Amino acid sequence: MTIEKDTEMTVPLPGQRTRWGLSNYPPPEEWDRHTQADPKTREPHDYMLIPTICFNCESSCGLLAYVDHDDLSIRKFEGNPAHPGSRGRNCAKGPATINQVHDPERILHPLRRVGERGSGKFEQVSWEEALADIGGRIRKAIVEDRKDEVMYHVGRPGEDGFAERVLQAWGVDGHNSHTNVCSSGGRTGYTHWMGFDRPSPDYANAKTIVLLSSHLETGHYFNPHAQRIMEAKKNGAKVAVLDLRLSNTASHADLWIAPWPGSEAVIFLAVASYLLREGKIDRAFMERWVNWDVYLERLHPDAPVEFDAFIERLTEDYAHYTFEYAAAEAHVDAAQIQALAEMVAEAGTALATHTWRSATAGNLGGWQITRSMFFLNVLTGAVGTPGGTHPNGWDKFIAHFPEMPPPNEEWSEKLWPIEYPLTTNEMSILLPHLLKDGNRGKVDVYFSRVYNPLWINPDGFTWIDVLTDESKIGMHVALTPTWSESATFADYVLPMGHASERHDTMSFETHTSKWLAFRQPVMRVAMDKQGIPYTDSRDANPGEVWEENEFWFALSWEIDPDGELGIRQWFESREHPGERMTMDEYYDILFNKSVPGLPDAAAAAGLTPLEYMRKFGAFELVKDQYRLDERPLTEAELDGATPDANGVLRKPVTEETQPPLVGEAGAVGLQHKDGSKVFGWLSPSRKLEIFSTTLADWGWPEHAMPNYFESHVSARNIDRGNDEFVLMPNFRLPTMIHTRSGNAKYLNEISNTHPLWFNADDAAAMGLKTGDLARVSTEIGHFVARVWATEAIRPGVVGMSHHMGRWHQDGHPGSRWVMGKVDLNRNDDGIWKLRYKEGIKPFTSDDPDSERIYWDDPGVHQNLTFPVQPDPVSGMHCWHQKVRIEKAHPTDQYGDVEVDTNKAREVYQRWLSMTRPGPGPDGLRRPEFMMRHVTPRRKAYHYQG
Amino acid sequence: MQYGFAIDQRTCIGCHACTVACKTEHEVPLGQFRTWVKYVDSGAYPETQRDMGVMRCNHCTDAPCVAICPTQALFKREDGIVDFDNSRCIGCKSCMQACPYDAIYIDEDTHTAAKCNFCSHRVDQGLEPACVVVCPTESIWVGDLDDPESAISQFVATNTTQVRSPEQNTGPNVHYVGASPSVLQPLAAPVDDTYIWAQPDKLRTAIKTDLTMDPETMARTTLNTAHPRPWGWMVSTYLWTKGVAAGAMMLAGLVMLFGGAGGTLGEVVAPLLAMAGLLSTALLLILDLKRPERFWMLLLKPNPTSWLFKGGLVLSVAAGLSFLWFVFGLVDAPTAIRWLAGPAVVAGALTAGYTAFLFKQAEGRDLWQNPLLFWHLLAQAFMVGSGLLLVLGPFMSYGDLRVPLLVGLLAGTVLHLMFVMIEIRGHHGTDNAQAGVKIMTGARYGSTLQLGNGIAVVAAVLALAGFFVGGLWLGALGGIAAQVALLMYEHVFVRAGQEVPLS
Repeated sequence: MTIEKDTEMTVPLPGQRTRWGLSNYPPPEEWDRHTQADPKTREPHDYMLIPTICFNCESSCGLLAYVDHDDLSIRKFEGNPAHPGSRGRNCAKGPATINQVHDPERILHPLRRVGERGSGKFEQVSWEEALADIGGRIRKAIVEDRKDEVMYHVGRPGEDGFAERVLQAWGVDGHNSHTNVCSSGGRTGYTHWMGFDRPSPDYANAKTIVLLSSHLETGHYFNPHAQRIMEAKKNGAKVAVLDLRLSNTASHADLWIAPWPGSEAVIFLAVASYLLREGKIDRAFMERWVNWDVYLERLHPDAPVEFDAFIERLTEDYAHYTFEYAAAEAHVDAAQIQALAEMVAEAGTALATHTWRSATAGNLGGWQITRSMFFLNVLTGAVGTPGGTHPNGWDKFIAHFPEMPPPNEEWSEKLWPIEYPLTTNEMSILLPHLLKDGNRGKVDVYFSRVYNPLWINPDGFTWIDVLTDESKIGMHVALTPTWSESATFADYVLPMGHASERHDTMSFETHTSKWLAFRQPVMRVAMDKQGIPYTDSRDANPGEVWEENEFWFALSWEIDPDGELGIRQWFESREHPGERMTMDEYYDILFNKSVPGLPDAAAAAGLTPLEYMRKFGAFELVKDQYRLDERPLTEAELDGATPDANGVLRKPVTEETQPPLVGEAGAVGLQHKDGSKVFGWLSPSRKLEIFSTTLADWGWPEHAMPNYFESHVSARNIDRGNDEFVLMPNFRLPTMIHTRSGNAKYLNEISNTHPLWFNADDAAAMGLKTGDLARVSTEIGHFVARVWATEAIRPGVVGMSHHMGRWHQDGHPGSRWVMGKVDLNRNDDGIWKLRYKEGIKPFTSDDPDSERIYWDDPGVHQNLTFPVQPDPVSGMHCWHQKVRIEKAHPTDQYGDVEVDTNKAREVYQRWLSMTRPGPGPDGLRRPEFMMRHVTPRRKAYHYQG
Repeated sequence: MQYGFAIDQRTCIGCHACTVACKTEHEVPLGQFRTWVKYVDSGAYPETQRDMGVMRCNHCTDAPCVAICPTQALFKREDGIVDFDNSRCIGCKSCMQACPYDAIYIDEDTHTAAKCNFCSHRVDQGLEPACVVVCPTESIWVGDLDDPESAISQFVATNTTQVRSPEQNTGPNVHYVGASPSVLQPLAAPVDDTYIWAQPDKLRTAIKTDLTMDPETMARTTLNTAHPRPWGWMVSTYLWTKGVAAGAMMLAGLVMLFGGAGGTLGEVVAPLLAMAGLLSTALLLILDLKRPERFWMLLLKPNPTSWLFKGGLVLSVAAGLSFLWFVFGLVDAPTAIRWLAGPAVVAGALTAGYTAFLFKQAEGRDLWQNPLLFWHLLAQAFMVGSGLLLVLGPFMSYGDLRVPLLVGLLAGTVLHLMFVMIEIRGHHGTDNAQAGVKIMTGARYGSTLQLGNGIAVVAAVLALAGFFVGGLWLGALGGIAAQVALLMYEHVFVRAGQEVPLS
């Protein structure tokens, strides 16, 4: 493939810069052969610069791999200037990808367990044997109509739509996610406003930025967002941060408020009350886009159905949320809340607010925090505006393969139990309990994929109980590049590639842009460039490491080798019928057919769409789109659509119809009273729902409005006199990747201790000082941690970051960069004990750095001591823990964990009793408009009892 | 032309991307950093603040590391970048003493000095340094600070900027905008018992007892990197061995210069002792090199400005003179020795005193910058040189040396104690030097220092008593005490000087 230089320049490179006489990247013309001096020897080396995308967090920032022409080794990773989200820049985790590729502890071959599950003994096995065994088992489940017994449980997806298409082709309801330990509290709040479950703040153009999350250091989408938040700050924007601790983000804030956990909603509602009181609202926007008529009808039926009456009633309804009331609830100074209110009011429609996890993931009713926060955008009209908060759907693009398998009609009670009809995502945290319930069936084949369920989820010992019970989980297949605690409890451990060893497409709402980025196995691309033949990615990757895409195709083939189940066809080559489709063919079709604008852009550059993506790694479909709610519907959209009583334009649907990922089947938009027919929102009313009929009609009428849902750890629920505290166990560090950074030595060396952040005055009052051991007791057990007495956390709250506490049992495989050696014991009464025998120690490997390890702290696996605390609405695991703290007992050791799983079961049942089970209106299991992966046909939504 | 950095701490988010991009670009071993991010927390809740600072080589206009490097392994390029050629580095670590910024380390893989070199291999190709490329918030500016029109010059000119340790007058070329002084001034924020998500190294933790937190700012360092002491017992012992050699040469030389009889002690054993001292000195110096097999580069690729090189010359000349003296002593040629004595005394004085110039070049160690150090070293040389000759004297003829040796021991020891008192009690120009004194006298070294001083007092008293008692025995005892006293002092002085945090 050759590229003419003059056409090259037509390709946008938003991250390419030349300033001060220096450029950040060599021009793309040189990417096939760029000569760079070795920094040590100064000898010139020829590199191929091949784009891919980072796999270390969800942001999917661009990377350029420097692949040496001589030996096809990867020298380093830099950013990709063609990537619109990351613009050639990265956080520490991007360049650290090279550590992961060269990690001496990585898994290089498929492994099968020897002995009992969890024995920690494995033998090498061929891919063919593994595929035959797993495929045969899945085939049997499908043939025997046990289609809810195959489960794919994904942590970091790192891709969009591929696995879901595979599951849809298999006809199983088996997509399980990590979302309920992550973002359900955030999503639920947004969902019941606008249908879309994610925000996309236009930081770069904001005047005021309000952050509940720490986006200058972590989260969705750290690097792209940090770039734009700082850009706005340089342009004079003000930043307010609500955080219980002084995060790096809070340290950059103009206003840092550290409220009592769970009181954040009251603060936002006090701001809302101020905006209403002072009339600092966007009336025109609200009149047109808020379902105020429903509000009046449901809550003030006697009031005239007029907008003014609505504003009057609304102002009255929220009048009791004074600054003083909020300050008392939040245990902060009222002046801080007033300052926040003024910052919000000054922003006009350039108010960018954002939450994803943080408080919304910490508290019972956390979703009301989200809902209250977005309320501020709705009141000020800062929705979809320059500088406002957008729904993610405007700034994200999922490339679906043009030929999709038919939707299934299954409904798994193990994923979507009837008790949680409004959960945003699968009730993943409850899986072991749902299996223990005994009336929801079992799982025959369980894939954990870039997911460490027994570590990351609360109540990990119950996970171990279930993972080791073959009557509940027939087979566990761990798809992972590196060892995790959970992988040692697998039957198969199958090594999958890192960021530079696999194909995926990704797109995220990093800013006002729709982009699609392409992850690729760079050594294989380099082999292509050099004309070296290969069969699949295994020929290019280290050892026998594969990529999931090819694995799924091969496994699907194994499930239906002769095509009789109708599955094989979805994985069959179009060019060579009877053969498996290659990734080249798959992505050639995908990029040709499913990415508007890409074929033309590629042609302009003299490339095919696939060549374009292989060369540049990213494509921007559109950018700077605002107010798409006002987008007039197209002829095609309107064709056959009629307005219902509320103006929602609908096309006819049947019970066989598959609803879209988000939104109701058939609904295309909204016809306003003025006759305009526009796209609107994806909520049932296609409006922004200040009164959520969904919440009202599915059992939560008192929470249909943005409201204060008192947290399980509100100040009233914590007896400080009894040394009770709120534990915030889930804040993240800028250099860590959940439990996946163990294989990145340059990240470990920056962050490698796990102190218990303890307000200095609180610590002094308890006679604790930095370095002392403290016993932290939850409802089901306790752990022993090391105190850091600090001014950087609010009183009454203690905190521990979420990445550490890694372990492996003696003789079991693990990653010695980060895992300590433990004794793990369970007695007959279900009491589990974990105790470290050894911390982190230097070890000998191919990498001399492994002998230079100078840290020893494996951390404390605190999650084991947390019972499941699923929010009865969102399904979110409410991370904040009510704990009692005392000085460590004489026999306690650092890192000790002890848990009574019987108590864990009791807590599960108690939280289950807080639910208001479905079915909802019309006997449905779940509102149709809510996002659901691998959406089944509408008929599956009917609860059969 | 002068390449430099400007770092905008107003927008730096402390993400460590620069750190890791640098490490992957240069494949820097674990535990070592060419650039890193320091965190400082200050204030009391809820007025707590966290400040960050990106630390790295300052590519100084008057780079002390270049001046001290004995083999020109560190050099300043025409574009102002301070670069290094590790094929010339002998691993003497003097650059680490010279740098007031903790910027240099000995690479664990190559055992040679390394530091930020501005990614000169990239700059030569028109590419930005790796840290600049990766920075999410574009907080690192690069460019020519000599060109007033350059963007970086404009940026520096239009903002309030600071540099690290301006008092060192090295002409640092990393300018900070919006940095907290508590981040830039290494003494402003001692460590707590832990960092925010790492463990302070043992040295930082140990010295925190010697440094006090500012009750006003409550600033404490909450993230930083380890900078171990480059020089240890070999260097403190070297100060003793060469002191012995220098003292022996000076004292015996002076006596014979003025016509005194040296006896076997003065004519044969004194130069022998000098040679032994110088040989031990050379061995210690070479063994302390991280690349001892490259010792010869000191001679073949010398840097004439380096006192490490010049000191090498001094030691060589002193060794040559001692050898001649010894030969003349063996063949019993006192006239020739007298003729040699003058140069030998000078060589002895330089042997003792050159270290003051070397330490002067160690710009990062303010404790060692004491202007009296040259004279202190001479006094110490008399103290240990006389002392050891007194120890050997009883076993042979010692001519007219008895009184001069006792005087040497007494005067040397008393002067040493005086200089130590001035060191401890006197006024020091910089906070760094003051901190060095605090460390010397603090919980960790104070008792060693005091014991050493006490033993020195004993040595002086024994020397004094020696005048009144026949023979050399009391002087010999005093001589032994003097050796112990000096070793204890140098142990403290060499370590404390290096333990003052520079970053």
